[in-house]
Amino acid sequence: MVIAIKIILGKFTVGSQLLQVGLGFIGSVMLGYLFGPLWGFAGGAISDLVNSAIFGNMGGFFIGFTLTAAVGPMIYGFFFYKKPVQIWRVIAATIVVAIVCNIGMNTLWLHIMYNMPFMKTLGVRIVKEMIAPWIQMVVTWFVLQALSRVDARLRK
Amino acid sequence: MSKIIIGRYLPGTSFMYKVDPRAKMLVTFYFILMIFLANNWQSYLVITVFGLMTVVATGLKPKVFWDGVKPMIWLIIFTSLLQTFFMAGDKIYWHWWVFAISSEGLINGLYVFIRFTLIIVVSTVMTVTTKPLEIADAMEWIMTPLKLFKVNVGMISLVISIALRFVPTLFDQTMKIMNAQRSRGADFNDGNLVQRAKSVVPMLVPLFIDSLEVALDLSTAMESRGYKGSEGRSRYRVLKWSKADLVPLAYCVILTALMVIVRIH
Repeated sequence: MVIAIKIILGKFTVGSQLLQVGLGFIGSVMLGYLFGPLWGFAGGAISDLVNSAIFGNMGGFFIGFTLTAAVGPMIYGFFFYKKPVQIWRVIAATIVVAIVCNIGMNTLWLHIMYNMPFMKTLGVRIVKEMIAPWIQMVVTWFVLQALSRVDARLRK
Repeated sequence: MSKIIIGRYLPGTSFMYKVDPRAKMLVTFYFILMIFLANNWQSYLVITVFGLMTVVATGLKPKVFWDGVKPMIWLIIFTSLLQTFFMAGDKIYWHWWVFAISSEGLINGLYVFIRFTLIIVVSTVMTVTTKPLEIADAMEWIMTPLKLFKVNVGMISLVISIALRFVPTLFDQTMKIMNAQRSRGADFNDGNLVQRAKSVVPMLVPLFIDSLEVALDLSTAMESRGYKGSEGRSRYRVLKWSKADLVPLAYCVILTALMVIVRIH
């Protein structure tokens, strides 16, 4: 179900015309927070596969992006799974995901797929990745608070 | 609301629809792999011709493929220009600060453009001519070797098919929740950063609770119908190889041969 949520959220964006931030990362956060690194990894990969089955992959089908989609929830899982919601965790997790997945891996895939010059692509992507994580942190914070409330009620 | 397309499958009767989804999926993978091999104009020509062949084999209108490329068009143009401007070459037509247009740059820009478009178009062929359910079956088949690593493929494919089945349902649910919250004043598109981040919660929490309920109900229903795990079950939906699947095989063999001959080593 959370995989389905992640796919749907990926179709939504928040933000102004100038800067759009997808909501797919919320799904990653949920996967990591609720199921931990291992299942987060599997869930992330599956969500990418299902997403490409239903909507088709923009920019072509490439196994590297599946890997990125899997690593994101895994990192969130390492930081959030069975841990109290804390500000530093949110900040650290978001930054690690931004650096490893969005800046590192995705740029590498683009480089491999389209032969883009690595450093130049990096320059362009870094601009977005400098802004987006702040928004993601705020959203992640509120989402985790809400989720932990739901979670606590369930355990009663 | 329902305009948002769930599934991009377009029904048709052309040859492409008769090909086994597993074959189509593998060829899509393989084609992208082959694109990496292209490094001179001959090889780009070969790969383009093969790409166009698949497009023709679908018998669909060009607009379908244009719709596939459209969301990415700015990225494609941007990347191509990036390649054009920053590629140093012998013949320089125009020069300003760090930017230069050279013949090599122009050719490289064109190569990147072709690469991008081909990858998108071929993936579009795949998703447009195959039903999502078939794609899921094909994925399951392709994942079978993972059993060697003790991965529970049956369970993963169950997760995939449940997710596939419930994406449209939950999507409708999301829309309903958003409308319900809007009708009592929620605003999902305005306010500053913090307000917007907060506005996600009234959408997400009901959605999460809904999905929990669905998960509980569904698992109860499945258990009451005798589901005890993915082992020892039969299959109702079966994929069958047919003669039409020899064509993708031949396609791959010829493409590989041509690419290896024609590219610069």
